[in-house]
Amino acid sequence: MIQTSYAKLKRFFENFYLICVLIFLYAPIAVMMVLSFNSSKSRSQWGGFTLKWYRQMFDSAPIMEALYNTLLIAFLSALIATVLGTAAAIGINSMKKLPRTVFMGVNNIPMLNSDIVTGISLMLMFIAFGISLGFRTILLAHITFNVPYVMLSVLPKLRQTSKYTYEAAMDLGAGPVSAFFKVVFPDILPGVLSGFLMAFTMSLDDFIITHFTRGAGINTLSTLIYSEVRRGIKPSMYALSTLIFVTVLALLLLTNFAPAENGKEPDVSAARARFKKGGYEKWLLTAVSFCIVAGVCYTSWRHLAAARSDELYVYNWGEYIDESVIELFEEETGIHVTYDLFETNEEMYPVIEAGAVLYDAVCPSDYMIQKMAENGLLSEINFNNIPNLDQIDPVYLERSQSFDPQNEYSVPYTWGTVGILYNTKRLAELGIPAPTGWKDLWDERYQGEILMQDSVRDAFMVALKTLGFSMNSTSTEELSAARDLLLAQKPLVQAYVVDQVRDKMLSGEAAVGVIYSGELLYLQEEAESLGLDFTLEYVIPEEGTNIWIDSWVIPYNARNKENAEKWINFLCRPDIARMNFEYITYATPNQGAFELLDEEYQNNHSVFPDVSELATSEVFQYLGTEADDYYSALWKEIKAH
Amino acid sequence: MNQPLIDLVNISKSFDGELILDDLNLSVKENSFVTLLGPSGCGKTTTLRIIGGFVSPDQGRVIFGGEDITRMPPNKRQLNTVFQKYALFTHMNIAENIAFGLKIKGKSKDYIRDKIKYALKLVNLDGFENRSVDSLSGGQQQRIAIARAIVNEPRLLLLDEPLGALDLKLRQDMQYELIRLKNELGITFIYVTHDQEEALTMSDTIVVMNQGYIQQMGTPEQIYNEPENAFVADFIGESNIVDGIMLRDELVEIFGARFACVDKGFGQRTPVDVVIRPEDIDLVKPDDGTLTGVVTHLIFKGVHYEMEVTTDGGFEWLVHSTDMFPVGQEVGIHVDPFDIQIMNKPASEDEEAVGVNE
Repeated sequence: MIQTSYAKLKRFFENFYLICVLIFLYAPIAVMMVLSFNSSKSRSQWGGFTLKWYRQMFDSAPIMEALYNTLLIAFLSALIATVLGTAAAIGINSMKKLPRTVFMGVNNIPMLNSDIVTGISLMLMFIAFGISLGFRTILLAHITFNVPYVMLSVLPKLRQTSKYTYEAAMDLGAGPVSAFFKVVFPDILPGVLSGFLMAFTMSLDDFIITHFTRGAGINTLSTLIYSEVRRGIKPSMYALSTLIFVTVLALLLLTNFAPAENGKEPDVSAARARFKKGGYEKWLLTAVSFCIVAGVCYTSWRHLAAARSDELYVYNWGEYIDESVIELFEEETGIHVTYDLFETNEEMYPVIEAGAVLYDAVCPSDYMIQKMAENGLLSEINFNNIPNLDQIDPVYLERSQSFDPQNEYSVPYTWGTVGILYNTKRLAELGIPAPTGWKDLWDERYQGEILMQDSVRDAFMVALKTLGFSMNSTSTEELSAARDLLLAQKPLVQAYVVDQVRDKMLSGEAAVGVIYSGELLYLQEEAESLGLDFTLEYVIPEEGTNIWIDSWVIPYNARNKENAEKWINFLCRPDIARMNFEYITYATPNQGAFELLDEEYQNNHSVFPDVSELATSEVFQYLGTEADDYYSALWKEIKAH
Repeated sequence: MNQPLIDLVNISKSFDGELILDDLNLSVKENSFVTLLGPSGCGKTTTLRIIGGFVSPDQGRVIFGGEDITRMPPNKRQLNTVFQKYALFTHMNIAENIAFGLKIKGKSKDYIRDKIKYALKLVNLDGFENRSVDSLSGGQQQRIAIARAIVNEPRLLLLDEPLGALDLKLRQDMQYELIRLKNELGITFIYVTHDQEEALTMSDTIVVMNQGYIQQMGTPEQIYNEPENAFVADFIGESNIVDGIMLRDELVEIFGARFACVDKGFGQRTPVDVVIRPEDIDLVKPDDGTLTGVVTHLIFKGVHYEMEVTTDGGFEWLVHSTDMFPVGQEVGIHVDPFDIQIMNKPASEDEEAVGVNE
């Protein structure tokens, strides 16, 4: 009796452990799959079942193009790497022991090397040799890192293969090439195939190397998803990821459970049998390969052909334009736009600095514009070519002088504030009145209810403004005081987050959160569509806040400056600025566009506050490396405390 | 019929600075069964690979049927090889293996089918067409390798230690099979082995090689009975090789005793090597022998007894006899004149018979 119950218990724990492991491995994927069917954009609220994200995915040209690029690059790089790697493996295999060992070592290094080193060195090499970054460079980079994997998978097979079979084929009258393909190749085919598959998956997976070697206007899935991080990954990406996962799963199941012809080694013998029969599959494979190669030639030709005078290279934040605006611009001007995305100012800066891709129009934020101008990376705009500048409210040009003193480098595109978002119902429950200023974030009744921004300058801005200092302060005393204040606040803070402010506020997890005003319209619409039993309100703190401005600039190395000016002028046209506002929902500095908006928007003081409310607010300035380091050191102290 | 089919002329080859073949000359007649015999590293396989076209010689020419084929790639040569490890194509079935050469030559389907049937019959494996290579035993695989070679109707078949991987019984069976095949097909065989028994059983001509040189070439009887030097004598069968002095024609002195022999032309008082096969030594009463000694070792071998007889001067004679003499018995040694083989001492270092490796 004891024995059996002990065995049962043991069995139970074994199963329990197994289930735990499975949950650990698959729960994240399950969550993603569920969210791909969630009609709400929120990551924590279930808004009902929908397939709209799937529709959106298939309708989205950038996603489909990125998918196409990803698959094409994966297939081509794997194919070419397989040919090169197999040839190299054959060469190495016939070497003597010492050189073979040396070559194998040399072959292994790139695989162990960190991706970021490979990526940067490839990028540097391409730039050094004047190869413009684009489809070709991604392909070359992927071939480079794939070759060792193919060699690694082919070599053991070659070593198992008797060298005499090749000689036997020659002896029986086959020429060297025919002997290889008829006799050696079928023997090493399993190794070649697994090398190909490994290369294919490595290429699909890669982000870092692609990120460094890609050029304007080309994205793979990984770089596309990355560029969307700032504004939150769209649920259509969950849909795409779900589809990819399901496809891979199906392939796996197919290869593992397909009826094996010979019992053992099903895939190998099946592959051999197919190859041997040389039936229609072989021709199909050849035909498909041919089509793909032709497709690539056509695409690269198009890429090359596109390199003509009527061109414009645009570098912008992800999700920061209504895509039909680009089409309208192309239609009206006949200029072909290559549109590229970045995720942070810090990511954009080195690209421009290195001249890896020569962009014509870029949209950085305030302090970064100052930094670029100070480092001579910007070209003065010829405002004669931008008559629509008169549509921009002079207030914002004045504000821009904070980072562009002569108004010579930039044209404002969007702007906004940073403020406090609060949950009215939650505050009522806690018995606290609505916040009016930053000082309320030190109210002890908010214990565990506060969400702060997880970024140095934003966090210090809150403290500096509370203390009545400038948020561009470089005074060590003022900054020490701000640090002490933030440390004092830390026990009250629920979390330091970036994107999750939206989700946490929507799910009612926190009472107040520091947030960018650009998120407001989306949040309020979402709260309404979810039918939440609370409302989210926004306040611009009375101590003053950060006014941020994203503006268009032209880099010093732009090749199509006039086209860039046409582009900026086009974006300043009221009807276009209105389209963009309705898509991005970030406040527009365009007076003409503002007048075209629905009254509902015009009267939304959270999005369009009165100028008087902003008297004490400032725009971020670039403070120099030394100050940046000092801020970071203090911030680390706070986070570590 | 007895024209030379293949001539190797002044062939030299070295690998990594090591001389494998040194100025080798060999002529093989049409329709003969020639065996290249020697210890490993003697150059026999290299010679075969030069004929097959897998190795090109540093110097010299290969003449095949009157044509210089030294630089001709293997796939153009009218000969086929049976490889040591069979080298069958494991991703093909038996019929496809055999058909390989014929398909490349563009033969018709009917022709190929007939040929496969004929070849399988020839190697006693009828009905094996659709079997996989893995399902065959070593001996069967070897037959397929032979079948695959001979369907191409080569004028010359090269066999590189084809029986090396088989067990003893199978090896003996296959030896007879090969002789039968050779007689039925009427093609020339060049056979490489390190097994002297195999060489003696099958060949018309044996070429004994060592260290890149041909030591002796002749019929199996000549090689066995009249080895030309100590290496050949030692390598082929078992031998007693002793220092002797040729006193005059037909008289040799060994360990101070005088033996009558049949060899002439060595001059007078010439130091020579004397070879006496163990089975050619007659053990007699001490008084009747030319030399006397004591039996120091005795082993029963089935067909005969193997004994060691130590004579004055400490030399141990190997003796095979159906008569048994117990250990410790004093015996006399007698050898008939025609059983004594006289050889010149090696003229140079290179020809010196060195330790046999196998």
